[in-house]
Amino acid sequence: MFRHTMLFLGYELKLTLRNPVWPLFGILQPILYLLLFAPLVANTTVGGTMGDTLRLFTPGVLMMIALFGSLFVGFGMINEIRNGYLERLAVSPAWRPAIVLGRTMRDMLVLVVQALLVIGLAFLMGMRASAPGVLVMLVLMAATGLLASGLSYGLALALRDENGMSQIMQFFALPLILLTGIMLPMSLAPHWMQTVAHFNPLYHAVEAGRSLFDGDFTDGSIPLAFGLTLALGALTLTWSVSSMKKLAG
Amino acid sequence: MIIEAHGLRKTFTAKRGRGKTEQVEAVRGVDLEVEAGQIFAVLGPNGAGKTTTIRMLATLIPPTAGTATVAGHDVAKEPGKVRENIGYVGQAGGVDENAPGRDGLVLAARLGGMSRKQAESRSEELLTSFSLTEFADRPIKTLSGGQKRRFALAIGLVNRPPLFFLDEPTTGLDPQNRANLWDEVRALRKQGTSVLLTTHYLEEADALCDRLVIIDHGLVVAEGRPDDLKKEIAGDVVTLRLGDAANEPAQALLSAEPYVKEVRTEDETLRVYVDDGEHNLPHLLRALEAGGLGIQSISLDRATLDDVFLRHTGRSLRDAD
Repeated sequence: MFRHTMLFLGYELKLTLRNPVWPLFGILQPILYLLLFAPLVANTTVGGTMGDTLRLFTPGVLMMIALFGSLFVGFGMINEIRNGYLERLAVSPAWRPAIVLGRTMRDMLVLVVQALLVIGLAFLMGMRASAPGVLVMLVLMAATGLLASGLSYGLALALRDENGMSQIMQFFALPLILLTGIMLPMSLAPHWMQTVAHFNPLYHAVEAGRSLFDGDFTDGSIPLAFGLTLALGALTLTWSVSSMKKLAG
Repeated sequence: MIIEAHGLRKTFTAKRGRGKTEQVEAVRGVDLEVEAGQIFAVLGPNGAGKTTTIRMLATLIPPTAGTATVAGHDVAKEPGKVRENIGYVGQAGGVDENAPGRDGLVLAARLGGMSRKQAESRSEELLTSFSLTEFADRPIKTLSGGQKRRFALAIGLVNRPPLFFLDEPTTGLDPQNRANLWDEVRALRKQGTSVLLTTHYLEEADALCDRLVIIDHGLVVAEGRPDDLKKEIAGDVVTLRLGDAANEPAQALLSAEPYVKEVRTEDETLRVYVDDGEHNLPHLLRALEAGGLGIQSISLDRATLDDVFLRHTGRSLRDAD
């Protein structure tokens, strides 16, 4: 079982390395936000330096990669369903959960690498964040990758249609982004919006990221973010694995 | 028997909008027996239930009713064991188009339990026997249809399954590629692999299989060896066009002739099933002339599986789509 998961992971990684267009594309928009938006935000924050602003802004950008990158991996799977590839895997001796697990692990790895690239860029732009904080944040990114990937594959297997999936993604993407406090801190938002944001796991992840980058390991948002992301990630992963089992007999 | 199926049924629930559903009976009771080492064909028009049947046997969908034992294991109770002993190539091909063929082969081999070295040498073996070595390291989506299909076949055979399922393997291929694929299927039989294939091309069933079933509307309408089925009807078929209103009197007249086994009308043509057409054709012509019936066109052929289908279902396979 483990062996099959590793086989799929290796295979998918090799494919991604062969054609890294999509992961690179996935960080393009967040990088643009970092380069173009951060200076604007720096100017709106009273007495803020670029370094401070980046510490506040980058965790949000990292969540953006997760939303715009990892959440869309399901589209590739819809293609694989359509051309019969997943079906053939289902009839082979492969352990079925491995089909999803290998892909999810690949997605998590890709997300961590993307996060490293963005953090690197932020450092070049003047961000000085706590190094252990960054490391813990990378772990949180991996957990977020688990959640996003599991959700995406679950949707792909349930809907099996690009149009339906695209509509659902569009519907949820914008509120999720706005309610995460990526653009501006949620403290500026009206009270009702702040309450709603509490239900968004990405909001907690961004708050945790901000604390981690500041080097504050005691903030309550950190365990909350980990707990929420891991719990939801386990749920979505279970969903996509059981959907994969239902793909054939 | 490498496949034994009794009473296979499959009913799908199709949505008809606004919460209503409709039960669609794709397969309504199919019995199959395939001996090891045979090429077995499931022939029928589109929509007959061939693909559903083969998918039930390959454990892709559970039967609604009926039993099937494939490669020694029950499809419903031990699907995992069945899958260890079969290869399957679906209508869509089922290969990962973004990866090079070699990677796909090695992955399939390693999933089947081989070590990396074993997988690589087995892949090399298959690439050579399917003449794919040249194309092995490019993404499969850059290859032609025939090459993609050969890769699909090669990947299915990686673990040397004793039973191989092929669902409409030559649909969409040009005649050259079709002939090549037929050769490859025959080579499989030579190696001792049993093959079950579905097709709607009667030439394919005729050319390849040892035994076949003809399926129409979810039921088996004929079963046996192609030659035996054709002999049941008659050796030869005379196809006539006589002109309007001549069909009925012609049918009556010809049915009375001793060498005529059966006469069937099909739109404007008349199919006359005779024994020993070569020698009886002149008699037939004389009989029609004596009856004052003019012939517009005439041809003499051997009976084909299409005639078998026509006999059992009342429709021609060619028009049945």
